[in-house]
Amino acid sequence: MFNLKISLFSHTKELEQKIDTLHDKILEISLVFKKAVNVYLKEKRSSEYRHLSKEIKNIEHDADSLRREIENRLYMHNLIPDFRGNILELVENLDKVVNEIDDVAHKFYIEQTDIPEIYHDKFKELTEQVSDCVENLAVASRSFFCNLSAVRDYAKKVYWLEHESDKTSAKLKEAIFASDMELAQKLQLGSLISEVADIADLAENCIDQLLIYVIKRDV
Amino acid sequence: MELTYLFFLSSGLFLGWSLGANDASNIFGTAVGSKMVKFKTAAIISSIFVILGAVYGGQGGTETLGALGAVNALGGAFMVALSAAITVYWMAKIGMAVSTSQAIVGGIIGWNLFAGKSTDISVLTKICSTWILCPLLTGVVAVLLYWTLKAIIRKSNLHLLRQDYYIRIGLIVAGALCAYSLGANNIANIIGVFADSSPFKPVNIGKYIHFSGLQILFLLGGISISAGIVTYSKKVILTVGNSLMKMTPLIALVVVLAQALILFLFSSKELQQFLLTHHLPAFPLVPVSSTQAVIGAILGLGLLKGGRGVNWTITLKLMLGWVSTPLITMGICFISLFFLQNVFNMTVFLP
Repeated sequence: MFNLKISLFSHTKELEQKIDTLHDKILEISLVFKKAVNVYLKEKRSSEYRHLSKEIKNIEHDADSLRREIENRLYMHNLIPDFRGNILELVENLDKVVNEIDDVAHKFYIEQTDIPEIYHDKFKELTEQVSDCVENLAVASRSFFCNLSAVRDYAKKVYWLEHESDKTSAKLKEAIFASDMELAQKLQLGSLISEVADIADLAENCIDQLLIYVIKRDV
Repeated sequence: MELTYLFFLSSGLFLGWSLGANDASNIFGTAVGSKMVKFKTAAIISSIFVILGAVYGGQGGTETLGALGAVNALGGAFMVALSAAITVYWMAKIGMAVSTSQAIVGGIIGWNLFAGKSTDISVLTKICSTWILCPLLTGVVAVLLYWTLKAIIRKSNLHLLRQDYYIRIGLIVAGALCAYSLGANNIANIIGVFADSSPFKPVNIGKYIHFSGLQILFLLGGISISAGIVTYSKKVILTVGNSLMKMTPLIALVVVLAQALILFLFSSKELQQFLLTHHLPAFPLVPVSSTQAVIGAILGLGLLKGGRGVNWTITLKLMLGWVSTPLITMGICFISLFFLQNVFNMTVFLP
């Protein structure tokens, strides 16, 4: 009985650590992504960008393995079923954000889109907003486990940043389509901008769900 | 003699079975209904602790019930218990969670009326007042417990997974405590009327274990409650589940804890003695209804949240059951005693 208790407790601790590490990975990927876009704008597909892109891939891979481990452990662990379902959904939604960042970084690498210098500042602004949005999502999600009342504060930041990123991407697209660039380049740039902005949209979806879990839990 | 006694006792055991089937949902209903605790674990724990509570803490309530009406013939006791069992079983069948305590009180009054004995109004008032006091008090205790536990959780910033783990353990411990209190408090309902005519002699097992005659009677009653828990309570648990209010793990824990405390308060002779010696207000040792306690706790917490989550239709239906249960049992008991005496020629009371 005593052994059983100890082992159950250690399972809980292990799971806590894994969830914590997943949040670390999300914070890490958002920072590396921001850096990678800045490098790309400066040097395009340089060796440093390649290195950063590889780093993003590795983080995504680690996050994937963590997600799988958390999901397996959640089923082995005797959690309250409703709560278990919420954690599973949360982890999967977080994973979608990580995957999207990886996809976008890869898109930069594969397509080698030419971004005219006049748009660099706006592009940096968009990337910063998206990256901050993901960062706040990670902190909000971490708070869900340890400090429920703080989730709302971070959620507010995510919503605000997502809204700002929408505005920035719209302005950027407007400027690009009003320019003299060739239509193919306009479309390619437009698609890239949409994909970058999609990261913040996914973070917002994730926060929407998270706030519902908070209401369910905070009673 | 013993065989005849056992035959008559069967109605009490049937009532015990009904109580087990019905009231286990009050102990582990929310935990099992929401799959926080497995039914098997809940059934084993509650069975063991109900028996322990009945054997070691059942005396207080029995004395009060005896004072209401000393059912002095075995035939009478048989019918009092049977009419209560029929009412509880029938009400449970139509989906009304009823109180065994109210049923048995109705039965005893029915017997008093039939036997022409006067009902001790002061004892009746004492018992009836607990029907109001018990849910009210459980509601207040639940709200206080909820505030305290919530403040502790908020302050400790415990990881949600660990909170979950502690709540799960808390539910099992509180469930065990609740089962003990239920056994101690409610055994009087099912076996109390047979106490005056008990033929059991004291038994010693080894050097340290002693059972009085009354305790053996309580043991049988406890086993019948356990049988009800094991064989039939799952169905009730799954039906009752979260019907009154949607419960979070913390609320489920608070409801069970508050119920355990209140049942213990109304059944522990030692606690009553302790409170009296320290000049504190003590509670009468009366069998109270675990169903009423649970409803009191849930309503208290529901009102704390503005009453939005409470299903008032079900609540009203339950309250209707509280009024009708003693009246129906009284009627069944009175009519059945008439048949038992005049058709089967049995002694149902001694003048």
